[in-house]
Amino acid sequence: MTERPFLEVRGLSKKFGDHVAVDNLSLDVPRGSVLALLGPSGSGKTTTLRVLAGFESPDAGSVTVDGEEVTSLSPSARRFGMVFQHYALFPHLTVEENVAFGLRDRDGRTARVLEMLALVDLADLGSRNVDQLSGGQQQRVALARALAPSPRLLLLDEPLSNLDPALRDRTRRELKAALVRVGITSVFVTHDQEEAFAIGDMVAVLRNGALEQVGSPPELYEEPATVFVATFVGRAGVLPGRFTNRGVTVEGEMTIPARTPAPLAEGHPVVVVIRPEHAHFVSHGGVPGIVRSRTYMGGRALFRVETETGVLEVDAPVDAAEKGERVQVTAERALAFAADETS
Amino acid sequence: MRRIPRGTLLVLVLAWLVVYPLALVFVESVRGGGGGDVGWTLAHVRAFAGSSYEWTALWGSVWISFASVGLAGAIGIPVAFVFERLDFPGRRVLGALVALPAVLPPLVGVIAFLFLYGESGIVPRLVMTVFGLEGAPWRLRGAGAILLVHAYSMYVYFYLFTRAGLARVDRSMLEAAGSLGASRRETLFRVILPLLRPQIAAAALLTFMTSLGSFSAPYIFGGGFRVMTTQIVTTKLNGDLSLAMVETAALAVVALMGLWLLQRSRGSRSVVILSKGAPPAARAIVQPVARWLAAGVGWTFAFLLLLPHLTLLLVSFVPLGTWTTEWLPPTYALGNYAAVFSEPERLRPLVNSVWMAAAATIGALALALWAGRVIVQQRARLGRLIEMLTNVPWAVPGTVLAIAVATTFSVNAPWIGRVVLVGTVLILPLAYLIRNVPIATGSVLAGFRQLDPSLDEAASSLGAGRVRTLVSVTVPLLRPAILAGGALAFATALGDFVTSIVLYTFDTRPVSIEILSLLRQFDLGTAAAYGVILMAISAAAMLVGTRR
Repeated sequence: MTERPFLEVRGLSKKFGDHVAVDNLSLDVPRGSVLALLGPSGSGKTTTLRVLAGFESPDAGSVTVDGEEVTSLSPSARRFGMVFQHYALFPHLTVEENVAFGLRDRDGRTARVLEMLALVDLADLGSRNVDQLSGGQQQRVALARALAPSPRLLLLDEPLSNLDPALRDRTRRELKAALVRVGITSVFVTHDQEEAFAIGDMVAVLRNGALEQVGSPPELYEEPATVFVATFVGRAGVLPGRFTNRGVTVEGEMTIPARTPAPLAEGHPVVVVIRPEHAHFVSHGGVPGIVRSRTYMGGRALFRVETETGVLEVDAPVDAAEKGERVQVTAERALAFAADETS
Repeated sequence: MRRIPRGTLLVLVLAWLVVYPLALVFVESVRGGGGGDVGWTLAHVRAFAGSSYEWTALWGSVWISFASVGLAGAIGIPVAFVFERLDFPGRRVLGALVALPAVLPPLVGVIAFLFLYGESGIVPRLVMTVFGLEGAPWRLRGAGAILLVHAYSMYVYFYLFTRAGLARVDRSMLEAAGSLGASRRETLFRVILPLLRPQIAAAALLTFMTSLGSFSAPYIFGGGFRVMTTQIVTTKLNGDLSLAMVETAALAVVALMGLWLLQRSRGSRSVVILSKGAPPAARAIVQPVARWLAAGVGWTFAFLLLLPHLTLLLVSFVPLGTWTTEWLPPTYALGNYAAVFSEPERLRPLVNSVWMAAAATIGALALALWAGRVIVQQRARLGRLIEMLTNVPWAVPGTVLAIAVATTFSVNAPWIGRVVLVGTVLILPLAYLIRNVPIATGSVLAGFRQLDPSLDEAASSLGAGRVRTLVSVTVPLLRPAILAGGALAFATALGDFVTSIVLYTFDTRPVSIEILSLLRQFDLGTAAAYGVILMAISAAAMLVGTRR
């Protein structure tokens, strides 16, 4: 018998006027694991998080934590920690006072504050005012404050979006390390695929308030369930094509081996998604196109190639082609989705 | 040759206008009376210090001011929370209406209270009629009456400041407190109120300074209860100039001490709201009964606040001598207004007030623009000093300023910056101007600080000279700030009573003085008509000033 999920979300819906922000969403998060809610802006991920936290009440559905239904509890009764997008540190309190805010018991309060500050590596800044801290430090104080009362669940709303890119990478690793060390069940919201993959054990992709797919990062990347997931998670070129028993046929009568989420009939129109690392330049026999741009990425480059029916991306050595050059592109494999199911 | 720092001339002008007169008061208070050639003496100070009569008045000023702060805060802060946080029918309209006591000039507000709650006012007469009483149920006299007027007119500071502060509190702050287990009550006391501390302290400071300088209410309602502002004017009218100087100096010292004390309570720790999220939305009251109850309480409150305005309007239509024993005046006519606008002697105070207030406003705005350019655009080293100087007139009560101006400009000695202006048409506009410097500068400086300094540089890089930059870039962008500061300054000068009573002459008498003399002649209707006209002009000015 498998253990019951620690966090169970069932049939959650939330409307703002006529706008459906969350649409019948169900999710499971096992104890101690980190779920990333990934989606473009307006996909309902922040609303979902706010419903979990209790700041918004859902129109339908339930939230259960550790077997206890919390749907109608107030935020303060849920014992969840929350890290806000802009941190929401109390400006009239010092770092220590912020971290101590949620600690009810006087006994052991100081020790707990020190422990939390040590966890986020801010042990020597406890007496500072929060406006004297850098963005990264503020983010860590917000994390320490949320973790101090030993919440059952940690919620993070775009915790890294306010940091500059150089800092984001490091903070991301530190955040992941802290979550692993504490071992707390967490849900965090992001619109950044890399961030979701780096921190999340599982990633739920949302679109228009509904769940597109939930899975581990490799699952989402290798076996996306929809064109939306395939193109939102990682880079991809897209061409129209037809399904055949040997793969998919695209323009130039080229056939590429492809996997589909569901079996299709011969000749069925499909949307073909090709990852840049699976695409190559060839001297003949590929899809003809023109190189529109070349973006350096370390020792290699990403080429955008415009073809008759779409745009492909090719990951190749920097000197593989020039901008404006006529080239031919082939691919070793592709993902195919029935064209009529997507639009 | 050493360069003279930028802004030196401005510093000299401001020092001459705001510091020099005050300094002269202190000097005069320790000199022998009369011609000034008598030499130094502490006799007047000793007379002051030894008199329990003086100490009573000073103590009266101080405790009335603290009590006004407490009372105005106890009304204004909760009302601000209700209007900012709860949504109920009529919230928007009522939210604007409850700020209306602010458009009532001090003396006008006081006479409105007199007509409404005074011994022979509408409410006591109504009570007498209903209960068949022989005499008035109460007398609107003494400390209680003064506090009532103060609470009524000054709660608005707490209301407006608290609302502005609440609107800036990020919703996520409250959510963070909630998610950390804080109840609503705890969130209020541990998060919201501490975050509002700067605004509440600012409102307390403003209320304290205004009550300390309050003249109209104690003058009309004081009775046996004495405060320093009225005492100074009485002493001066009695001809004891030296003692008046000591009294003025004492009140100035108390004002500065209050300023220092309340500035400290603002807190040294900066409370910058760090996050950029949205303020919390007002919580809609869903339950129908509660909704209508909230609306009912709101409308009743607004009605009570508007009652003085309505009373004034009502009484302004009452012909002289027609209102005797009835609880509401029996006859109404337009005669009082017709008289004001048709008889030259009646129109004169109005014309005086308008031109003097306008001149003072234009002068104060010119100084403010000058100060803004020097402080913000040229980043003068003297910037802090200039800003401090522009705030001085605000830190001392109006009576103190009036006495100081009267002292300075009653002697003809141009080589020490003194000319005789007392008794001329220039003295009142000058005094109004000095009082308006903080209002105008505050607004214009805030406007300058919001300007992107690179706009100036952009204009000059496009070939615009200094004048063209000022005319075509700076002033248009500052328009809202200039209008807002100008409107407030104009309204303040228009309704001024404190300064005027010390400095007016018969030919330059402003409306407030005319109202006072009409009250003495029991011509209540005409006094009220002037009050309504002042109120209307102030309100129109404020409307222009706050239009976006």
